[in-house]
Amino acid sequence: MLLQLNNIFKWVQQGGQRIFLLKDVNLEVEEGEFISIMGPSGSGKSTLLNVIGMLDTFNEGEYEFLSESVHTLKEKYRSNLYKEYIGFVFQSYHLLDELTVEENLEMPLLYKKVKGSERKALVADMLDRFNIVGKKDLFPTQLSGGQQQLVGVARALIGKPKLILADEPTGNLNSQQSEEIMQLFQKLNKEDGVTIIQVTHSEKNAEYGSRIINLLDGRKI
Amino acid sequence: MFKNHIKIAWRSLKKQAFFTFLNTFGLAIGMAGALIISLYIYDELSYDKMFADADRIHRIDADIKFGGAEIKAAESAPPMAGALKRDYSQVESTVRFRTLGSMYVKKVGGETSSKENKVTYADSTFFEFFGIDLLVGNSKTALTGTNSLVLTKTAAEKYFGSTDVLGQDLLLNNSDTYTVTGVIEDMPKNSYFNEYSVFLAMAGNVASREELWGSNNYFTFIKLIPEARVEDFQAPLQGMLERYMLPWAQKYFPGMTAESFAASGNYIRYHTMALTDIHLHSDRNSEMNATSSIQNIYILSFIGLFLIILASVNFMNLSTAHSLKRAKEVGVRKTLGSNKLNLIFQFLTESGLIAFISLIAALLITMITLPFFNGFTGKVITIPFTQPLFWLILLAATIVLGLFSGCYPAFFMSRFTPVKTLKGGASESVGNGRVRNALVIFQFSISVFLIVSTLVVFQQLNYIQSKDLGFTKDQVLLINEISPLGSKTNAFKEEILKMGNVENVTLSDFYPTPSWRSDSSFFQEGASSQESAIQMQTWGVDTDYLKTLQMNIVAGRDFNKQYATDSTAVIINEATLPILNVTAEEALGMRISEEIELENPTYYTVIGVVKDFHFKSLRENIGALGLHVNKTAENMAVRLSGGDYSNSIAEIENKWNEMAPGQPFDYQFMDEAFNTTYEAELKLSQIFFIFTILSIFIACLGLFGLAAFNAEKRTKEIGVRKVLGATVSQISYRLTVDFLKLVGIAILVSLPLGWFAMNKWLEDFSYRIDMGVGVFVLAAVLSIVVAIVTVSYQSIKAAIVNPVKSLRSE
Repeated sequence: MLLQLNNIFKWVQQGGQRIFLLKDVNLEVEEGEFISIMGPSGSGKSTLLNVIGMLDTFNEGEYEFLSESVHTLKEKYRSNLYKEYIGFVFQSYHLLDELTVEENLEMPLLYKKVKGSERKALVADMLDRFNIVGKKDLFPTQLSGGQQQLVGVARALIGKPKLILADEPTGNLNSQQSEEIMQLFQKLNKEDGVTIIQVTHSEKNAEYGSRIINLLDGRKI
Repeated sequence: MFKNHIKIAWRSLKKQAFFTFLNTFGLAIGMAGALIISLYIYDELSYDKMFADADRIHRIDADIKFGGAEIKAAESAPPMAGALKRDYSQVESTVRFRTLGSMYVKKVGGETSSKENKVTYADSTFFEFFGIDLLVGNSKTALTGTNSLVLTKTAAEKYFGSTDVLGQDLLLNNSDTYTVTGVIEDMPKNSYFNEYSVFLAMAGNVASREELWGSNNYFTFIKLIPEARVEDFQAPLQGMLERYMLPWAQKYFPGMTAESFAASGNYIRYHTMALTDIHLHSDRNSEMNATSSIQNIYILSFIGLFLIILASVNFMNLSTAHSLKRAKEVGVRKTLGSNKLNLIFQFLTESGLIAFISLIAALLITMITLPFFNGFTGKVITIPFTQPLFWLILLAATIVLGLFSGCYPAFFMSRFTPVKTLKGGASESVGNGRVRNALVIFQFSISVFLIVSTLVVFQQLNYIQSKDLGFTKDQVLLINEISPLGSKTNAFKEEILKMGNVENVTLSDFYPTPSWRSDSSFFQEGASSQESAIQMQTWGVDTDYLKTLQMNIVAGRDFNKQYATDSTAVIINEATLPILNVTAEEALGMRISEEIELENPTYYTVIGVVKDFHFKSLRENIGALGLHVNKTAENMAVRLSGGDYSNSIAEIENKWNEMAPGQPFDYQFMDEAFNTTYEAELKLSQIFFIFTILSIFIACLGLFGLAAFNAEKRTKEIGVRKVLGATVSQISYRLTVDFLKLVGIAILVSLPLGWFAMNKWLEDFSYRIDMGVGVFVLAAVLSIVVAIVTVSYQSIKAAIVNPVKSLRSE
């Protein structure tokens, strides 16, 4: 068991009323799964992903990640936990514009306090593996959307996470680029055993996964 | 990690070149201003500390009240030094100076004279006392013989082209020959003896050896032995009054005792003034050299501090405003595993980097502006590049400044949550900017305060310069040092009077400008005791004096050449009347004398009363004054009738060269001489002006940055408003008004403070302006206008953006 959500509730107070973003969500994720979260706008997909990624908190319920109770952890331990085990991929890539491709890849390793020589090796490996060695000195704005997302995925992977969380990773890409990224995800999942949870609107993309979770108004259906 | 921080800091600074420029520039200006002020203050505080044993050297000062006048004397009686040394073992050595003002000096046999502005008699102990080494000559004997003098290096080179000049002769004021017996280095710029270039042996000053306890003309310095405490010396010093002063006075006022002296309300209070305190703390009536005031140091310190705080606040504002652009980065970094501390450290690195770039810029700015600053302060301040301590302090200050300015933005930005910033909702995370608004209010409060201060200082100076002084200072040419004319003086005066442009000419040693004064005690006819003494200025003038300076007679008449009796006539000013306890009419015919103790004193008869005219600084009230006819004079005043002055001056100079060949023609306009009295205020006002401009500038940078931030934050709102039909002017107005509210609050805060502070400053002047509402209205309007100009650029820029663009990004 990689993670387990039990009776998760999340709400915001608006005009004296509770608006539920997540309502009694239960979820178990085994290592090696590839899950797609689907649902209409405002159904709580991203919120759920953020909760799983520990970027967001919840009001009620329990969350266990690798047998650690996330809901009881202090922020510092929480950030250590996700730093160690979770990689994020975003719809709008969120690469740092001031850094080159190589430096963007290096960054998570800096925060993990990986030594310089090892860092260099890991970054070189990743550049090789994604076939972007020739682009290592370019800045994100000099790349196409697909290439940027490729870097985004590489960055998420470089820390050797157990889990990758992808929030509409192909939302800003054209169909050909989308397919390439989804195939990459599939390969990572099958060959390297990385657990992936993605939020998507697209049925086609969802089919790459092994399981689909549908959300409506914060509830799993 | 650190390398990565520096790298990303450098790149994001480069990318946001304009913001970086605003930030660095504001900080650099603030730092440069503070640096210049610090160097200036350091120089002011360093006065006279270079002399060996400076901590043991003190000047004998006296507060004297005698005959209605109060004098704060820096000079002592000639025998004071000798008596102190003789009577008290605490006194290790003494030295006296008797200043002579300016003198014309030339090489014997030379063609033309040149003017030395600061000449003084000095005791032979001078060199040993201050630890001054002679470049040539013997320090023990250099100032022992009469007619020997010691020159500074610059003076020696001026007259002889070298310092190897022992035994050479100089002619002073074309009459006395002196032999050079030594050469010293120029006196340090930051010393009380700055610009003194010629030291004459005291042996040549006969009065210096006389037991004249009543005349205070000798600047007297004592050096205490290392064991002595100066506090313990005050009582013995005061003992001089009963031991020497009173016994001497009894010769003239028989029966006067210490008790009767004190009972009459008179006093002489001796005290010491530490050498190193003179420059900033001395408040004497006359000094060997212009002194400054500790008050100015305080004011400058405040201004320096203000500048740094302003620049720092500016930095905070711009950085947090800029943070919208960095919000995404914070979010990404957090998801990649960065914690708050990491981010704080990163942002502090960045502000440290900016602080260092600013430091370099500030040093450049300082290097460029320092010569100008030196120009108008008359100092020779340099940046002490070679001193490790300077660098240490500078670096430490820069780091502190970088941390101080950086910490609010760093904490502020590190709080951003990834969930919000990565969804593009950064504007929510940066909050409503209460702190930023407070900072802008703070900045503008300081600026408005400085504007008020500057306006008041300027108004007061303007008031001084345009005040009815009781005489007309414009169009009067003062010709100094006319003694070379000798017997031809009157002929010269007649020749000038014949010239077309000349209205009047007068000869006198005394003018209502800062020049030598003559204070003496007069007694009304029939008075028998010193209690009734009237301390008054007595000026020897010629019969054309009042006409030339256009002074008004309120009672009686002016001097008249035809009346032989006018040689013993006196014209008093109105301020003398209350002391005599008479009206102007009653005063006419009264007789006064200086020599009441003599058998047949010479009496002066009051023939007229002149309307009060200002002859001291407007800081002081007009004192009692008497004018009497004198035959000889060193100075001449010429009233011109307007037209082309340069022709008149050339004409007069030609006549001068004809009648006094080879002598320098030294003149100045009276209004210029008058202005030197207010040089301190003038300089203060200039400093105020410069730094006010600087602070307003920095505050505007901050406002500009904030306006940019605000416009960016409200992009969506502006877009929506435009879609709904708002016009560009309506939107710009909305955006601008918000800032004007802040400026308005700043004005409300700072105007009362400004009023209070300037009231305090004005208290120093006996004659001062009333601060009207005008100053405050003007300051308010000025700051509002400046704010509108600054903000409207950003507001208009934001308002003309196509709403399609601004709404799409949401």
